[in-house]
Amino acid sequence: MPPRLQLGAHRGLSSTTYIIRLPVRRPQRRFASSSTDTPEIYDVVCVGGGPAGLSLLAGLKASAITSGLKVALIEGQDLQKSRLRKDASLDSFSNRCSSLTPASVKNLQEIGAWRHVHASRVQPYHEMQVWDGVSDARISFDWESARTPFTPRKPSQPTTIAYMIENLNTTTALLSRLEELGGVDIYSATKVESIELGTDTQQLDMTSWPVVSLSNGKSLAARLLVGADGANSPVRTFAGIPSRGFDYNRHGVVASLQLSGPGWGGLDHKIAYQRFLPTGPIAMLPLPGNMATLVWSTTPERAAILKSLSSDDFIAMVNAAFRLSPTDLEYLHTLSSGQKDEVAWRERHTPAQERAIPQRVSFVQPGTVASFPLRMRHADTYTGERVALVGDAAHTIHPLAGQGLNQGQGDAAALFRTISHAVSTGQDIGSTLALESYTADRYAENNAMLGVCDKLHRLYSVGSGPLVGLRSLGFRAVDAIGPLKGFFMGRAAGGS
Amino acid sequence: MKSSRSLRSLATICRQQTADPLRMFHNVRTTRVPTIPTSRPYSSSTTTSTTPPPPKSSVDPTEVAHFNALASSWWDPHGPSRILHLMNPLRHTFISRCMHGTPRTSKPPSALPSKNLRYLDVGCGGGIFAESAARLPTTASVTAIDPTPSVLAIAESHKRRDPTLTLPGRLNYLNTSIEHLPVPSNPSNDAYDIVSIFEVLEHVSAPGPFLEMAMKQVKPGGWLVMSTIARTWTSWLVTNVVAEDVLGIVPKGTHEWSKYVNEDELRAWFLERGWGRVGNEMRVQGVMYVPGLGWQEVGGSESWGNYFLAVRRPDDE
Ligand SMILES: Cc1cc2nc3c(=O)[nH]c(=O)nc-3n(C[C@H](O)[C@H](O)[C@H](O)COP(=O)(O)OP(=O)(O)OC[C@H]3O[C@@H](n4cnc5c(N)ncnc54)[C@H](O)[C@@H]3O)c2cc1C
Repeated sequence: MPPRLQLGAHRGLSSTTYIIRLPVRRPQRRFASSSTDTPEIYDVVCVGGGPAGLSLLAGLKASAITSGLKVALIEGQDLQKSRLRKDASLDSFSNRCSSLTPASVKNLQEIGAWRHVHASRVQPYHEMQVWDGVSDARISFDWESARTPFTPRKPSQPTTIAYMIENLNTTTALLSRLEELGGVDIYSATKVESIELGTDTQQLDMTSWPVVSLSNGKSLAARLLVGADGANSPVRTFAGIPSRGFDYNRHGVVASLQLSGPGWGGLDHKIAYQRFLPTGPIAMLPLPGNMATLVWSTTPERAAILKSLSSDDFIAMVNAAFRLSPTDLEYLHTLSSGQKDEVAWRERHTPAQERAIPQRVSFVQPGTVASFPLRMRHADTYTGERVALVGDAAHTIHPLAGQGLNQGQGDAAALFRTISHAVSTGQDIGSTLALESYTADRYAENNAMLGVCDKLHRLYSVGSGPLVGLRSLGFRAVDAIGPLKGFFMGRAAGGS
Repeated sequence: MKSSRSLRSLATICRQQTADPLRMFHNVRTTRVPTIPTSRPYSSSTTTSTTPPPPKSSVDPTEVAHFNALASSWWDPHGPSRILHLMNPLRHTFISRCMHGTPRTSKPPSALPSKNLRYLDVGCGGGIFAESAARLPTTASVTAIDPTPSVLAIAESHKRRDPTLTLPGRLNYLNTSIEHLPVPSNPSNDAYDIVSIFEVLEHVSAPGPFLEMAMKQVKPGGWLVMSTIARTWTSWLVTNVVAEDVLGIVPKGTHEWSKYVNEDELRAWFLERGWGRVGNEMRVQGVMYVPGLGWQEVGGSESWGNYFLAVRRPDDE
């Protein structure tokens, strides 16, 4: 949210970091019409209808304890337009896909949303191949090799590492679930224009209540204002919660691709691939049939070149990125076109174990090559008086572990638990006391995940020198020790 | 009168030998209030009410004066009442367990209605419990009384921050003490489903007569719920010597250890009066503040620390 928007008074958040409370000024004209004079009072106002916000609301409405809360959703985009069509073709996929962990799927099942998912568009995968682009040291992850030699696999143990799913599929399922449950006032295609604190009238002292003014002229007072409004969260700005971090000076290039086959393991044993290059990791993640989704983090300059290439040259570059040396790749990025022939020639001189890398890209779905800047951000806290942050509003993570969306699901589930406990014990769900357990529940865990992904990024940004040897050693050691691998996979799968 | 709850909790912390939560008490004013020796059936008058004082009162005037001084920081989540705020959810868990029985024990003969409950909170202080009870969807109304005007003013002003609480009839504060409440003439109709007395007993001059007045306010089949702290050498040492004298973090005169009531004494007292004779009609739960974990239910701790006790009024009374 650009700062020109009036985002209201900054408020003190904790006993230690008080920010001076600015006097609240309200332009007279906005409240001239009597219909907006008194804001409508809600228990929960959620700004942002992304995966995190929708998941929280579905959780609240699916529970007998919290379903009585008066709840509103505000989303700037048109939620109906951004829904997955029922007859969507399995030959075309959105370029924003996420790897949902079993823990996230379980949560979506518990709130009754998972059965609304377009199941044919979800691809579980059972194996991960990760290797170092400089030294070629490799780890393969699957539950079979992760067990110890002494403990045979129990039938209850999972075989699925995670589920590839379009974000659109997740949000569409959550919206269907919300429609089924009812009871949410949805303000779609409506922006938050400003957030200010309420006023003290004779009867009521609303000076601790955020009042959200919408682009449609309405204003809503929130007992609890939830910021599920993404990385540039206006709610976070209103609450005066600092968010710290940095830009990686990397972009994530995404695309929906068709491969020459369903994968080396066939349709029933899908494999995810990730190769660490000095510019960042490139990942090929399986989708149904022969489809796959690409996430390639690279420098902004290279991202710009990749986006400018013809389909044939782009395909050649993706194939090359899994096969050729970093030196070859560096050269290929200096060409403005002709990569196709150049790659074909170089590949003839580079022996590759084809079965250890993703099958060749044969087709790129038009219009899906896109890029976005990679950032790491972490809010200082997730809660303030009558404010809670979930998802990207609270933290933005390097996508190399595919955890962004999952963290948001974990946040939504934890905030639901906090609200539910507060309701059943008569606490004011907006009070800092009631909200404390949410920050306590999530902060350390998210921080650890952000830290691990950040360190991985740094470790693999190094192209030569002793670190390369050390990290290769690490790769090989982890790969050789089954139980240790089991631990890493448990973390990746959202367990503990 | 209930800001002492924080001190009660503090007592438990001290027992845990952890200094960290104590910093929350730094801004408590440590005005010394003289403590009157305690061998009284009733103190003679109350200094707080504008209505003419009754011949006898359960309210100890020194206690009233003392809590006036503490009142201002009542609702500060990091203030001296923090640990008391943290305890509040446990009270609700305890009450709903009383009302709904447990899988092991059968339900009370005629269970309370699960909706439209009427509460009376005696010694409501700044309204921590009263507000939370009034917010529950199963609540019809809460009447909350306290004899200290300044404390009640805080409760009234805090209530205005929540539109739910200002709904007509939802939460009524009365500046009075229990002996001024009219005794219900037809208890099945006018009495309360739940009468709560949290962290009050230990400040009352004569618990027996005080409780007898409270019992009259309970509907047949309803519950009288209280919490207090046992009178043991540990509690005396911690609340009176360590907290007040050694550490100086609890205002002097907050506690009079001799007023503490033990759980077995309370139990016997109610049984003598015919309350709680059926197995699941009297419940006790010891609670303890564990730094890092918050308030925990600890079986057996009722005999030496903070505890909840609830007793159900027989249906035929
Ligand atoms: C381009 C891009 C590609 C990504 N690709 C991947 C990927 O491949 N894999 C992966 O795991 N993660 C990916 N991520 C990250 C992932 O999308 C996020 O982690 C996830 O969407 C976060 O969900 P959220 O609900 O917290 O926020 P968002 O999905 O960002 O939702 C926030 C919502 O708030 C709304 N909003 C914001 N401001 C206002 C306002 N003032 N008024 C009303 N509404 C408002 C927005 O319209 C938006 O719908 C990608 C992110 C981006 C930006």
